[in-house]
Amino acid sequence: MSTIISVLINGLSLGAIYALIALGYTMVYGIAKMLNFAHGDIIMVGSYTIFITVMNLNIGGPVLTLVAAILFSVIVCTVFGVTIEKIAYKPLRGASPLAVLITAIGVSYFLQGSSQLLFGARALPITMPNLGNIDIGAAKVSVGTVVTLVVGIILMVALTVFIKNTRTGKAMVAVSEDKGAAQLMGINVNKIIMITFAIGSALAAFAALFYLFGIPAVNPTLGSMPGIKAFAAAVIGGIGSIPGAMLGGILMGLIESICKSIPALSSYTLAIEFGILILILLIRPIGLLGKKRRVKV
Amino acid sequence: MQYIKNIKQSFKLKNNINYFVLIALLAVLIIADQFGLLGRSLTGLIIKMGYSAILAVSLNLVVGFLGELSLGHAGFMCAGAYIGCFFANYMYGVIDNKILVLVLAMIVGGLVATVLGFIVGLPALRLKGDYLAIVTLAFGEIIRNIFNNTSSETFGGAMGMSTKKFEGTTLFIITLITLTIVLFLCQSLIRSKHGRAITAIRDNEIAAKSMGINVTYYKLFVFALAACFAGVAGVLYGHSLSTVRQDAFTYNYSIEILVMVVLGGIGSMRGSIISASLIVYINALLQNNLSGDMAEIKQAVYAIILIIVVIFNNAPALKKVKDKLSVSNPAKKNKNPETIHDDEVDWRRVPTKIPMDEVLTANLPNNDEAESDTAEKGDK
Amino acid sequence: MKKFMKVAALVLVATLVLGCFTACGTKADNDDGGNNANTDAKKEIFIGATGPLTGDASSYGISVKNGAEIAIAEINAAGGLNGITFKFEMKDDKAAAADAATAYDALMDEGMQVSLGSVTSGSCEAFAGAAQEDNLFFITPSASAAKVISYGSNSFRVCFGDPDQGTLAAQKLVAKYKNIGCIYDTSDPYSTGIYDAFKAEMDKSGTTFEVRTFDADNKKDFSAQVDALKDCDVIFLPIYYTEAGLIANACASKGVTAALFGCDGLDGVAEQIDKAVVTNDISYITPFDVNSTDAKVSAFVATYEEKYGEKPDQFAADGYDAVYAIFEGMKAAGIDDANISASDLSDALQVAITAEGFVLKGLTGEMTWDASGACTKVPVIVEL
Repeated sequence: MSTIISVLINGLSLGAIYALIALGYTMVYGIAKMLNFAHGDIIMVGSYTIFITVMNLNIGGPVLTLVAAILFSVIVCTVFGVTIEKIAYKPLRGASPLAVLITAIGVSYFLQGSSQLLFGARALPITMPNLGNIDIGAAKVSVGTVVTLVVGIILMVALTVFIKNTRTGKAMVAVSEDKGAAQLMGINVNKIIMITFAIGSALAAFAALFYLFGIPAVNPTLGSMPGIKAFAAAVIGGIGSIPGAMLGGILMGLIESICKSIPALSSYTLAIEFGILILILLIRPIGLLGKKRRVKV
Repeated sequence: MQYIKNIKQSFKLKNNINYFVLIALLAVLIIADQFGLLGRSLTGLIIKMGYSAILAVSLNLVVGFLGELSLGHAGFMCAGAYIGCFFANYMYGVIDNKILVLVLAMIVGGLVATVLGFIVGLPALRLKGDYLAIVTLAFGEIIRNIFNNTSSETFGGAMGMSTKKFEGTTLFIITLITLTIVLFLCQSLIRSKHGRAITAIRDNEIAAKSMGINVTYYKLFVFALAACFAGVAGVLYGHSLSTVRQDAFTYNYSIEILVMVVLGGIGSMRGSIISASLIVYINALLQNNLSGDMAEIKQAVYAIILIIVVIFNNAPALKKVKDKLSVSNPAKKNKNPETIHDDEVDWRRVPTKIPMDEVLTANLPNNDEAESDTAEKGDK
Repeated sequence: MKKFMKVAALVLVATLVLGCFTACGTKADNDDGGNNANTDAKKEIFIGATGPLTGDASSYGISVKNGAEIAIAEINAAGGLNGITFKFEMKDDKAAAADAATAYDALMDEGMQVSLGSVTSGSCEAFAGAAQEDNLFFITPSASAAKVISYGSNSFRVCFGDPDQGTLAAQKLVAKYKNIGCIYDTSDPYSTGIYDAFKAEMDKSGTTFEVRTFDADNKKDFSAQVDALKDCDVIFLPIYYTEAGLIANACASKGVTAALFGCDGLDGVAEQIDKAVVTNDISYITPFDVNSTDAKVSAFVATYEEKYGEKPDQFAADGYDAVYAIFEGMKAAGIDDANISASDLSDALQVAITAEGFVLKGLTGEMTWDASGACTKVPVIVEL
């Protein structure tokens, strides 16, 4: 029983991390219609920022350190996200999306290459402030895991509220529906795209922190696998759909955690995750919560 | 027969220049090799360039002509490499002629990959754009994951499978001949009525369907054919080393092949070959010259080259600069630039139009009826 | 525009190919020319190697390179061998087989005469396959897979073989513990190599044990594996120290108190964990103890720290020993001509290094080699 509970909680918190990353993918896709392959590497940037903060900053208590770390990490990630958009993606607006995809890959290589240059390729261990453990039922769960879950859910709710109820949020929806029309209505499309990148990157900064709770080590390629899995999660949920990204992320996390806990399946974790992805897409080609659109001929 | 006749009738030097260049190159290289002018690293590089070019050309069939984004090409290569080399390892005990074994192995590896390509083609019937991209990526990773979990008696699992390393000269000749054959098959296909059907599907699937084109057949056919060539390239890869391990075929490698295709120009076979060779060459150059402590800047340098090249080639704002530099600028050739102005650009966009292109971006001015139609096709 | 691209690309290709020809030509000239400056005969032996200098595995490659460079500097400073000095270069192979093959070809073009092979098992296999054709003597510091030295009589190694460590670990653990668990990496040849032998030995002794796995795509989050093994007295970790550090941290955060036992890959785990947080007993089989009081070791550690600003790990020591194995082998074979071909040097070295009475007293113990290429030395168990 305790094993089942801890497997589920591990899965949920991993899922929350994937969901936060997937949100970044899905929002950028919905609005800029591009696959931002460098999104995973923004997590890596965030992780290194947290690493530097936690290792060098000594202010009272673990909670304060964490708050400082997440603050710095959000700022750095947002700056990175917006700068990358300005330098690498904006000149290509109007060009073939495949070209944008390749630039995104180039940016991803560049971020990995430069962090390797700065910090070396070796995984650097990081001592995260210890928050202790709590007992849920018979299972022992670290507070970090619970924080991941709770904050993850709060962020997702906040994002939904933001998009539904604010002018900027509504403008984002408008841009994702029809750019030309949105522009005619006086929406500054470039600004909206920039804001989208900023929000996506800020979410990635949170994902980085939660990621380090579970796995206290940073290396230059840290972001790529979670990035790909989050991309898969976004697609499972229906890319462009915000609740879809959350659902897909949680699903991915649960599948991964369950597979790993069963010895016979654990070495096939990747195959099972991707196999389920293919199955879901074969049954529902637009993802679980994707919007169906009619084709005009 | 009619098909062959057509080819004969339409024989033009311009259409066949690729083969002549390749064959001439092969001849030059063989002669150079006889005189000992080719160093070992150059021989190795030519082999690598050769199988990379096969991969790029075959992926170009899917991305450039069928218009589907595939991120799983390395997976087919992986299956071809493992099965083809496994077969070859067995056959070396049966047949004495090494070259014959390699050719047979390429056929076997190609066939296995064809079957897998057919399977991946099935979801392609229902999925589009990025959905298909992630499914192909997933397939590639699943294939890799399965080979990683094989026992040490069969495919070696994590240890990798030992293969028989081919002697450099023989292998580069075989690789270049294979590349020529693959190129011939691809170009003949594209220039035939089947090729036109495939590009029709790319440009507008519904219109193509309503013209009576069998979309299912052509999609599966292209996926299977491209996979087949990737499998053949995998066997060549396996024989250029003494080991095949699954970790060489991650999605990153698929992306690298895609980069070759996009940089070479989507829908341009010649471009694919050139850019595949160039990328292999640049990587080798960086690897050899940045050894020791300098190695770490390699990736960043490569990334910067990549970003600059793509932005330079594609940025709308840089179009004017490029036209100025271009040696074959249509506006220069034609005395009256006004007449070709807008239409020319639109017409030129057609060959590169793939479903991801439907995705429109903010500053695109000509948001006309035809384009907004296709824009929604992806979300069908 | 497309046309422009093509023409530009063609021109570029042409220049690059030409450049390559000329580069190869001039490089060879340079090698001779540069060394001809002092005397007529070449006075340098070129030791080549490939290893991961970038990417996830780069710390192993960099360590080996650093260790080998220290050995080369020492030897050259002491006057070399019969007036012959040594030159060492490691090319980056990103731990990938194809890149190792490319690097091998380039090294051969540059005149490599003897080699340290590759650092990691996967790429060393590709290296060994190619080296066997040329009969190039190589002694790999750290590629421990059984297959690496199976290609030909020209292949040797300094480290333990994977199967030996697995068998030894099984014997030690069965003798000491009751509930045994194991976590290994199914995508890594080193890890599976040890695990296979470990499992075989455990089966032989009739002991059952719990096993969990991970692979290269899932090697970050170990909470599920650690949870499953929380009742074990000991967890056997035939993996590298990065993941072992993560597992140790996962144990600490899950409150799992099992002892952790590993092989030489665990060397370096001490820097990965915070002793205040991780209270588990950690021990591993290794030929090299950085805290050893041996004069040779402490001198090496001091030099290394001075030069690279960190403590050497076992890979560095292996790299150092591998260079000395070549040096001592050449000394025993009485090589006095730096122009010797790779194949001749290989034949001489093979005889010398496998000869009765050839013992290398290195940083990783007293080593002898047999014709299989495997190295015999006494393992030490280090406890943190």
